[in-house]
Amino acid sequence: MSIDVKNIAEDALDDLKGRYLTFFIDDTCYGIELLYISEIISVLPVTHIPGLPVYFKGVINLRGKVAPVIDVRLKFGQEERPYDDKTCIIIVNISDMQVGLIVDMVADVVSMENALRNPPPETGRNGDRYLASIANVGGKVILNIDCEKFFQSDLRLY
Amino acid sequence: MAIDPSMEPMLEVFIYETTTLLEQLDEILLESEKSKSFSEDSINEIFRTMHTIKGSSAMMEFNGISTLAHAVEDVFFIIREDPARLSNVNEALFDLVFQASDFLKTEVESVQNNGEATKDPGGMIAELKRLAAIMKGEAAPAAPAQGEAAAAAAPAAPPPSSGDLSRVKIYFEDGCQMENIRAFMLISQLKDLCDHIESIPANPEGDSSLCSEIIKNGLIIDFKPTGSVDDVIHAIENSVNIKTYEMMDNDPAPAPAEAAPAPKSEEKSASAPAPAAPAAANAGAGKVKQSLVSVNQSKLDQLMDLVGEIVTSESMVVGNPELRGLKLDNFHKSARELRKLTDELQDVVMSIRMVPLSGVFQKMNRIVRDMCKKLGKDVDLVTEGGDTEVDKTINEAIGDPFMHMIRNSMDHGIEPVEERRAKGKPPRGRITIAAKNVGGEIVITIADDGQGLDTEALMSKARANGILTKPESEYTDKEIFGLIMLPGFSTNKEVTEFSGRGVGMDVVRQNLEKVGGTLSIDSKKDVGTTFTIKIPLTLAIVDGMELTVGDSVFTLPISSIKQSFKVSEDHQVILDTDGTEMIMLRGQCFPLIRLHQVFGIPTQVTDLHEGIIMQIENSDKVACIFADELLGEQQVVVKPFPKFLTKYELKQLGLSGCTILGDGSISLILDANNLLNSSH
Repeated sequence: MSIDVKNIAEDALDDLKGRYLTFFIDDTCYGIELLYISEIISVLPVTHIPGLPVYFKGVINLRGKVAPVIDVRLKFGQEERPYDDKTCIIIVNISDMQVGLIVDMVADVVSMENALRNPPPETGRNGDRYLASIANVGGKVILNIDCEKFFQSDLRLY
Repeated sequence: MAIDPSMEPMLEVFIYETTTLLEQLDEILLESEKSKSFSEDSINEIFRTMHTIKGSSAMMEFNGISTLAHAVEDVFFIIREDPARLSNVNEALFDLVFQASDFLKTEVESVQNNGEATKDPGGMIAELKRLAAIMKGEAAPAAPAQGEAAAAAAPAAPPPSSGDLSRVKIYFEDGCQMENIRAFMLISQLKDLCDHIESIPANPEGDSSLCSEIIKNGLIIDFKPTGSVDDVIHAIENSVNIKTYEMMDNDPAPAPAEAAPAPKSEEKSASAPAPAAPAAANAGAGKVKQSLVSVNQSKLDQLMDLVGEIVTSESMVVGNPELRGLKLDNFHKSARELRKLTDELQDVVMSIRMVPLSGVFQKMNRIVRDMCKKLGKDVDLVTEGGDTEVDKTINEAIGDPFMHMIRNSMDHGIEPVEERRAKGKPPRGRITIAAKNVGGEIVITIADDGQGLDTEALMSKARANGILTKPESEYTDKEIFGLIMLPGFSTNKEVTEFSGRGVGMDVVRQNLEKVGGTLSIDSKKDVGTTFTIKIPLTLAIVDGMELTVGDSVFTLPISSIKQSFKVSEDHQVILDTDGTEMIMLRGQCFPLIRLHQVFGIPTQVTDLHEGIIMQIENSDKVACIFADELLGEQQVVVKPFPKFLTKYELKQLGLSGCTILGDGSISLILDANNLLNSSH
């Protein structure tokens, strides 16, 4: 019985492995490993909190829980733009904490098992510091984000 | 013996725990008796049970219970080593362990009724020891516990020169019976504290006829203490049923000294309830009434969440915009009633989850004592504010971090006695743990007066480990102290039994952060090190005043508001030499904090005449804060900021948490304390 449950759980995790949620910032397609993602919601009212880096838009009320949200555009150092009906918040689980990522548009879930993935080239600039790999799926280029790196500056305390 | 008042909060837990364990024990015994043997599991279980009872009763200083549990534990230890030995004694063992269990139950009941354990388990212990001896196949039943006795009294050991021996003469209470067994117990107890011990008469436990001799002449013990003579005397004072003792100092004609006041009071309290206890025990044997119920923590969490929701929805109902302008006398009357009840409900639920810190502090006492012995240091532990109550989850979470920090202070902080003397410090080190409740936060400090942190050593270590992230000259003292909280950092060159594995402070920090706490370190060379821990009250419900600044809604706890007013005259506002705005109120000046400036929020309302001014205060400061508008009073559930934001120290900014308002929006809770501190 318990073995079955374990198997099912492992199967479910295996199912998630190698699969990525893709989203758009402007015309660029990014991917986040599905393992990290708990849900996608439409934009909720965000309460601004002073004293945080600009990319922190504030906190949202996620069914009674307070979760911080990050505007990915700002985190990537791009211009802010007004939210429209395509703007989404991706709720990500990292180190047992929930964080919302505001993106322009959520696209698809793709499997990267067989896709061609290359490590990001070392440009020496900061632009690629959040990337895990660059993949080519069906002729589309997807920049895969490394969640640990993405949140590193916020998770590191000293 | 009477129970130490400081132990009282733990008494209930002790009774509850021991009763549960004894019930389990009976269950195992009955099952085993049915199958006429002990399975490996049940042996282990009984062993563990007895071990726990031994430990907790020893801590509560119920020596009778503890020694009996110890004897049972010994027996099962032998069985555990070699289950085959069981066959010699099967029947007798069951009887005896049941007796022991019954004895423990009546004792626990007497503890519950009278706050003390009165009976002496000497006979039973002797019986258990006899059994143990049979199982070991060492001694004949007629010579009980000869093996241990030999070790205890060490008659074969060459008598050391009398010069370094101390001699004490002990008289037991009149009519306490089994004086020979008591003598044996006392000797075995003291054995641990002494390098060498001898008694007159020797081996008293073997011969009950020695009772009269002990009654007449007293029990004379010659001993050579491992530590100080005082330790041994202290142990004697704390033993049961001792009437008087006198140090003889090898002086043939000693002046008989009455026992210190402590044993005297013991004597009184021990003898008075004694006759009553057996009667009560007979009447309700095995039916210890429990006033404690153990509840799954998650249910409590759920309850707390529900109460929070009720408070929120109550505000939604009562403050519903649709009711505005209606004349609803009866509604408001009922609403008030409801508010009263929800208030009460909150208080009860909160109090269920609150436990005093004294339990954790007590454990630290123990650690300090043990480490003092092992490290050969002399350290005093001073605790303050043990009655400060914290949420149960916090209480559990800080146990380990505390242990680490105390161990660190003991091991690295406090210097050895000679070094302290050389530095001109008092030879006795001192560690202070103090807890207090400061504005919705529990502040706990652990301070030692040891050698302090060596910033140079810390830096070179950090350099060696490659964890420096910026040029060395840019590190402030505070940042250097912070280095020890990084993973893999340990300054101790050798791994000791207690600390130095390089995980200590890192784990401490993580554990504290789990409950939303922060840890800061302050240290001065040769003066000492202070750890300051701040932990928020995880969930609290406060009465707050809602106010707006621009688009943001803030909640200011009403407890920190002194008054609110509008500026009517210009001359009330003055500027000091730095250009800081001050408000003159009834002849006194208070600094003005503009919330929109502090938090950088764009707002239309910048003119003092248009907005509202609230005077806030903490224990020693008063200031005025300026906001756009007052929305009204509301009861809110304080939620800590997401842990993700811990790094940004919002608390320093004057925000203590957030809350979800009736309409689902989030309001930030202002922390008057930090606002006031940052204003100066």
